[in-house]
Amino acid sequence: MKTAFVQALALILSGDRQLGIILATTLRMALASSVIALLLGAPLGVLLGSYAGRGKRPLVVINRTLMGLPPVVVGLVCYMLFSGVGPLRHLRLLYTVRGMVIAQVILLVPLIAGTLESHVSTVAPDIRETALGLGLGRGRILLLTINESQYQLVSAYLLGLGRAFAEVGAVSMVGGAIAYKTNVMTTAIMNYTNMGAFTTALALGIILLAISLLLNAGVALLHWRLTR
Amino acid sequence: MKLPPICKTYAGRKVLDLPGLELKDGVIHAVIGANGSGKSTLARILAGVLEPDGGALPRVGPSGYMPQRSYPFRMSVLHNLQLTGAGREQAMGQLKAFGLDGLARQSAKGLSGGETARLALARLLLKDYPFLILDEPTAAMDVAATLLAEELLLQYQARTGCTVLLVTHSLTQARRLAGQVLFLREGRLVEQGEAGQVLFHPRRAETRAFLDFYAL
Repeated sequence: MKTAFVQALALILSGDRQLGIILATTLRMALASSVIALLLGAPLGVLLGSYAGRGKRPLVVINRTLMGLPPVVVGLVCYMLFSGVGPLRHLRLLYTVRGMVIAQVILLVPLIAGTLESHVSTVAPDIRETALGLGLGRGRILLLTINESQYQLVSAYLLGLGRAFAEVGAVSMVGGAIAYKTNVMTTAIMNYTNMGAFTTALALGIILLAISLLLNAGVALLHWRLTR
Repeated sequence: MKLPPICKTYAGRKVLDLPGLELKDGVIHAVIGANGSGKSTLARILAGVLEPDGGALPRVGPSGYMPQRSYPFRMSVLHNLQLTGAGREQAMGQLKAFGLDGLARQSAKGLSGGETARLALARLLLKDYPFLILDEPTAAMDVAATLLAEELLLQYQARTGCTVLLVTHSLTQARRLAGQVLFLREGRLVEQGEAGQVLFHPRRAETRAFLDFYAL
């Protein structure tokens, strides 16, 4: 085990080309999917959290159900849509990073929306009442609500980014884990483990852990800065 | 200012059932009563943030409203005051009047309960409203801050000539500020009249019992 760690660190420091491509593909896929999911999920979460009328509960329940979507199910549905006999075959998304991004966005939007919804639901009534008392319009109230949710916004984004880095089920089905094309860290770890290349698999695992550590440190730092 | 009858029901329980109220223009109306008498519900309905049974009331004109839990927005104290469009100098002048000028650059989230209440009132009184609704504006303030806030409210009212609905638990505050007093009990209007008459010579036994309990 100790030898494997040393070899893994040596591989990371050696600048291995294949490892570099896997890292670059992972970053491209995770950043694109998390940013798109934030742009879609954040307004949804803020609107759902601010909304107090009829039909809110069913919408929240639906979103919470979608938060628990099994990635392999999303992968399967995307595979069926994008495959040669699927209705979206003309888009040629199967076994592409773009296809993987779409699958990830489907998984991440409810997660980001749900995180923001639960925070906004607690602060929105007081914000709305105070802002209406000052004669502020709906647009200003929405902006103020977003401003009050800065920490949760960044926190939800980092949660989505972390999930995008760590996800394996959907991306392996839609991307196919094709070397030099759609192989990302999680699918590569599976492949290398199956091939018995434990050192490379461990190197990727260490990088994944380091990314997770960085993300959590980022959240902690941000929380400290916003609450001091 | 004549208001239509106002009713509000929560979970099958009628919490407010008022006949058509009449508020005197340019007068401070103190709304008194025990907890759960419907004071805040009335204030929230008049402010347009809560819908009464049967739909929203016809607008009585632009009104300013300070809720019981006024929110300090995540920005500096000065920027909180500038939210309604006030310029920097005007906002600084208001902060000085309320004794908050030393905290202008501080985040409003770091204020104490009393300072937050002062900020909320200072922020509201920057704009001229024909109708002002205040829900326990000084409940979190100490005696000195309360007297200062009352003085500034009286100045504002004298300058703008606005009609004020002031929800308060303090009968001495009602005596100091109000021209009219409305006494609510269990969602009903028991008595309304000149402050001196309602507070010192109430006509209704229920009002007398309430005032005796508070030993005014």
